[in-house]
Amino acid sequence: MSAVTAPTGAAPAAEPRGRRRISDRVRAERRLAFMLVAPAAIVMIAVTAYPVIDTIVLSLQRADLRFPGASKWVGLNNYGAVLRSQVWWADVVHTMIISVIAVSIQFVLGMLLALAMHRTLVARGLLRSIALIPYGIVAVVSAYSWNYAWSLTSGWIPHLLGLSGDPLSHQFGTYAAIIITEIWKNTPFMALLLLAGLALVPDELHEAAKVDGASTWQRFSRITVPLMLPAILVALLFRTLDEVRIFDVIYIFNQGANGTESISMLNYSTLLDRLNLGLGSAVSVLLFVLVAIIAFVFIKGFGAGAGPSGKRA
Amino acid sequence: MPIRRVRVRTRRLLVTAAVALTGALAAGCGSSSSHGPVTLNWYVYPEPSGSFAHAATACSQASGGKYRIVMNLLSTSSDQQRVSEVRRLAAGDPSIDILAMDVDWTAEYAAAKWILPWPAAQAAQVTKGDLPGPVATATWNGRLYAAPLNSNTEILWYRKDLLAAIHQPPPTTWTQMIDDSIQLAKMGKPHYIEEQGSQYEGLTVWFNSMVDSDGGGILTKNDKIIVGPSTRVAAAIMHRLATSPAADPSLNVTQESQSETAFEHGTAAFQINYPFVWAAAHKDTPSIGKEMGYALFPRVNPAIAPRVSIGGYNLGVSAFSQHPQLAFDAVRCMIQPQFQRVDAIKGGLAPVRASIYGEPAFAKSYPFHAQIKAQLEHYGIRPQTPVYADVTLAIQKALSPAASINPGSVVNTLTSEIKDALSSEALL
Amino acid sequence: MTQRAKQLTGWSSAFVLIAVLSLVPVVWIIMLSLKTPATATDGSFIPHQWTLSNYSDIFKQGIFTSALRNSIGIGLISTALAVVLASMAAYAIARLDFPGKQAILAVSLAVVMFPQISLVGPLYNLWRQIGLYDTWPGLIVPYMTFALPLSIYTLSAFFREIPWELEQAAQVDGATPFQAFRKVIAPLAMPGIVTTFIIVFIICWNDFIFAISLTSTTNAETVPAAIAQFPGASQFTQPIGDIAAAAVVVTVPVMVLVLLFQRRIVAGLTAGAVKG
Repeated sequence: MSAVTAPTGAAPAAEPRGRRRISDRVRAERRLAFMLVAPAAIVMIAVTAYPVIDTIVLSLQRADLRFPGASKWVGLNNYGAVLRSQVWWADVVHTMIISVIAVSIQFVLGMLLALAMHRTLVARGLLRSIALIPYGIVAVVSAYSWNYAWSLTSGWIPHLLGLSGDPLSHQFGTYAAIIITEIWKNTPFMALLLLAGLALVPDELHEAAKVDGASTWQRFSRITVPLMLPAILVALLFRTLDEVRIFDVIYIFNQGANGTESISMLNYSTLLDRLNLGLGSAVSVLLFVLVAIIAFVFIKGFGAGAGPSGKRA
Repeated sequence: MPIRRVRVRTRRLLVTAAVALTGALAAGCGSSSSHGPVTLNWYVYPEPSGSFAHAATACSQASGGKYRIVMNLLSTSSDQQRVSEVRRLAAGDPSIDILAMDVDWTAEYAAAKWILPWPAAQAAQVTKGDLPGPVATATWNGRLYAAPLNSNTEILWYRKDLLAAIHQPPPTTWTQMIDDSIQLAKMGKPHYIEEQGSQYEGLTVWFNSMVDSDGGGILTKNDKIIVGPSTRVAAAIMHRLATSPAADPSLNVTQESQSETAFEHGTAAFQINYPFVWAAAHKDTPSIGKEMGYALFPRVNPAIAPRVSIGGYNLGVSAFSQHPQLAFDAVRCMIQPQFQRVDAIKGGLAPVRASIYGEPAFAKSYPFHAQIKAQLEHYGIRPQTPVYADVTLAIQKALSPAASINPGSVVNTLTSEIKDALSSEALL
Repeated sequence: MTQRAKQLTGWSSAFVLIAVLSLVPVVWIIMLSLKTPATATDGSFIPHQWTLSNYSDIFKQGIFTSALRNSIGIGLISTALAVVLASMAAYAIARLDFPGKQAILAVSLAVVMFPQISLVGPLYNLWRQIGLYDTWPGLIVPYMTFALPLSIYTLSAFFREIPWELEQAAQVDGATPFQAFRKVIAPLAMPGIVTTFIIVFIICWNDFIFAISLTSTTNAETVPAAIAQFPGASQFTQPIGDIAAAAVVVTVPVMVLVLLFQRRIVAGLTAGAVKG
């Protein structure tokens, strides 16, 4: 990314012909900027703010569309019902397990892929194109493909691994299948985020270190990784947040049976299958709190988004 | 001067255009002055044999131009159909007129006032001659809320050759069936009992049938929870099957179609499934088809005839329909015996009109009609409650995977979750 | 072997490995779509019996063709709207100085991190009250909103690369501001806009959560939602071949886009750090 300072439309080199003139110019520029930014800002805020407020309001009511006449304020009852529910905590655990494992493996594989995309001497363009295909594929298609591949009757993986039982009938097998699907689909995106950081590491540093006799691993761990740290943190933050919100794959596989239901699936089924808007909204708020906590930990704790990527954060 | 001529020409063009436009508008207005037949939108699943479409067309024609039934196709999965329907009903969508409702949605739709009850005068006439089971599914709070269209019930299908190999008659109880399967397993022969053990509605059907067959129940019509000893008995049998050699390794993900496939692949000795498997097996694998026998659903309690939770579809009229009277007329037409007969023979869907079962032509293409009729007369029914979606989810989660069922704790789990569900506080 | 040859062998093996891993699921779903219904459940990777009937099947039903129409229409409109709004905002962010630049970026970040599932309930509630449930605008609005952060991010990175002095140079040469913009700036901005359009379109094409929550019939159901609801031979069978064929049909355009525009996409998603 080019290190460009924030360009101002007007070169401040204009002679200060009096405060009023500069203020006019600056004011005009600001007005233009607001007019340009306003539509996007308004859309984003309106479309997210209204549902957020509605969610909070609904979460404090008994709002079940199957009982249209029975709506009433129940305070924090819905939150109580969620937090004392075993299903909620089980789903938090499932989601965390899947997220941590999937993101870790994606990170390692993504780093390898990023290195390959950066340094390969063989058909670099073609490699990048092929490596990007999982990124472009519709998530639902990827889920179906892997689901059928793992199925005992119609798939080839159980046979390949010499399994006699049905992996998708058991929690462990289902976890493995879901995590592998997530890794396959998302490693390219992780690799791209890492590639952005990788490309910023100057080659001269590597050359100098090579001359000094540093091994490949030493060069990687002492030069590449520290300089890439901002990109790594951003990549980990985005992918973790994505994995915590996992929905598509689990829905297609088995709708969360066999102990693999995620928080998003629970949220969806409560709100839109059983039309229990009050309880479902409480789950939504808690999910958002969880996501905010994770983001906070990354941003304040690890310093993700600071440094040169501040502008794009 | 050229300019003036252009002006004149332009003016003439404009006038011609205006006249033409007015004429077109007038013609258009004339034809859309709704003297044509009213469009009735029927939300229904895509019935593969075309018998529903046949009924819709025939009734549209028979109406003499009063209405035209248009089928709006939903998903094949019953759960998805419900989701599509309830989201629109909760949104008060006026474009729905007739709904194909799975039998266990009646209470939910009726209590939420999404469907209209039949006018009392016509209710008796609509269900005259129908078997008691289907009528019960269409009733809520003493009123008829939907017209029974077709029914369905699971019976036992078995391999005649395998039973001959162990010199046993078709099993009449679950204990006997599991024992037969274990015996076949010891001989190294195909022995699985195919049942629907996936975490979905089919599992509720299995469980509820077992509980009702033991003389017990889960929830009364007045929302009284009667989960008790029969629940424990049912859970214990399901657990026994799941942990015995009789269990297909894929039991936890088996739905009706997987059961059928496994039976056709020859690995199963028994399956509990709907009648569609008869025609399917005869078409796909005739070698298996010719060894197929059928019998009543096995007894849970040897002293009580089984009560199998019936399935099928009823037709309801949306409370937001703009033409409710015409919709009722259309429904009354589409449930007539001649259409039920076509549905059964072409589509394998069990009729609800009792008299059809006695007809010779029907008996020929539905050889198991006696078993079906018996199970629709001595019927079981899933809990009729507005929170059925929650209740069935509670059951599904408590009983899947079947090998992990703890019969002792199932009673407590179900009782507390159903209690929460009744006050919209069940997180499932 | 020489150092160079060793390196080439190494990278070639890496290439093959990456290609195989990336393509196996894609090839698998294509193979599935070519299997006859009888052999769909035989578990072999390569079909024993080939047929194109699955493809003709899915186009015969109305569900898939209307889903395609919905996906294409909703995708194009949402993307176009998002790119227009984002271009304006990105121009301001890249070129102008104003307070609140950090704020708009923070809002974008918040929108990206928001759990979409949490929005779905209230959106359904609101849409059903104002009649937007199961309609095109009902999907276009959330798609556009969630596409904005990424669009702004990508476009502002692209716009920062443009040498704005050229605009002033053109004006010095006698062009009006509008001509300068149209003839000098716009062509330079086009690649960035095209890239963003492609990236955002892929996101809209891909979406599942909003599609299954805010639609229920062929009025507005997009392909990902429709695939999950394909009818089978009977009420109880799942049509593997049809689903696979639909999956292939819906994947091909996106794959073509990715292959053709790989360099632009990489540049866009790495904020210009990697230019190929």
